[in-house]
Amino acid sequence: MSIPFDFSLIIDSLPLLGIGALVTIEITAVAVAIGVMIGLFVGIAELSRYWYLRIPAKVYVDFIRGTPLLVQIFIIYFALPIVLGVRVEPFVAAVAACSINSGAYVAEIFRAGIQSIDKGQTEAGRSLGMSWGQTMIFIVIPQAFRRIIPQLGNEFIAMLKDSSLVSVIGFEELTRKGQLIIASTYGSLEIWSAVAVIYLIMTLSITRFVAYLEKRFK
Amino acid sequence: MIKISNLHKSFGSLEILKGVDLEVEKSEVVVIIGPSGSGKSTLLRCVNYLEVPTSGTITIDGQTITRDVNINTIRAEVGMVFQHFNLFGHMSVLQNITLAPIKVRGMSRFEAENRAMELLTRVGLKDKANVYPAQLSGGQQQRVAIARALAMNPKIMLFDEPTSALDPEMVNEVLEVMKSLAESGMTMMIVTHEMGFARQVADRVLFVDGGKIIEQGKPEEVFSHPKEKRTQDFLAKIL
Repeated sequence: MSIPFDFSLIIDSLPLLGIGALVTIEITAVAVAIGVMIGLFVGIAELSRYWYLRIPAKVYVDFIRGTPLLVQIFIIYFALPIVLGVRVEPFVAAVAACSINSGAYVAEIFRAGIQSIDKGQTEAGRSLGMSWGQTMIFIVIPQAFRRIIPQLGNEFIAMLKDSSLVSVIGFEELTRKGQLIIASTYGSLEIWSAVAVIYLIMTLSITRFVAYLEKRFK
Repeated sequence: MIKISNLHKSFGSLEILKGVDLEVEKSEVVVIIGPSGSGKSTLLRCVNYLEVPTSGTITIDGQTITRDVNINTIRAEVGMVFQHFNLFGHMSVLQNITLAPIKVRGMSRFEAENRAMELLTRVGLKDKANVYPAQLSGGQQQRVAIARALAMNPKIMLFDEPTSALDPEMVNEVLEVMKSLAESGMTMMIVTHEMGFARQVADRVLFVDGGKIIEQGKPEEVFSHPKEKRTQDFLAKIL
């Protein structure tokens, strides 16, 4: 018995899967971009000497890292509207869940990156009369940022894969597109294989790009 | 220029400085010597509040440092040179020197760069303006660090073991720069193990041990005729 594998089904589905892949890239890029902004502030807050900044930051990071992204998506899409009394668009819910999730991981990356910068750099900045903020902005963060590029790349890849979870709220990214095509063609083998290969192409491309960035900043 | 009264500093239960009183005159060069762990670096770092004293007062150019005084304004007047240079690795030599004058003093880039080039010429590195610290030798990095501190036009310069991390053949180039700075009338406090340099350049030598100033005086007095037993022991070990 031969396993039936219909290549033409993949070819026919490529335009739709391509759109799904673009949507996946879009949601990942937006989520990580917002995540980096959240992460920068939360990461610095985690290092603050003021408890009213430090403690909320820690609670946020612990809560997000200690609960599944899938549950966070459900909370934002299904539970939050009950509290707010308004319906949340799938795209908004998807971006919000992924950004908030990514922010917690990026915060830890920034915190470790900032802590890895030699204390002498801060002391040199402060000894020249620069404020704490100026020292962070001009001296510490630029150097920390260069150092954490590989980890940010990993976060981007992780987010790209995890974004498949937003398919559960009907948001039509790559995985959801695959499900929809299978629903009308029954081509599970072909379509899931194709979806996997498309994810793989995207993650490998990012890996390459990050390696290039890392080299450039050396 | 600097007046320190009854300065105490503890790290947890460990008391590093146990009551230091010191006055430094304008244009005076004070060299601090003493065994490691004696508190000499901590004393220096208290002068610009990199270490916050546990008690005691520090007055710089008539301004007493307290929590209410903007510490950044005082630090801008006090240059510091570190054992490990602490140049900003992501910036060129020129950017290292111009950053604080532009951000703190509000100097224009043009003016700051002109001044930086003057200073680089003075420390013999004007051809290195556009290279990065990692491309320089230790001695060159330390000379850039001195230029960076001078760019703020400080009234006082603090040197925390500026040659301890250098290869022996690079020590002199840094000491030469410091010597010409001393001759130009800069008020300086220097922690060092270079006794020959101390003898040549210092107006006054302080011997610090156990968190206190044990003995002080003109270099030839302290080095040739130390009065205190602890100073004699220390000098006997290193000379």
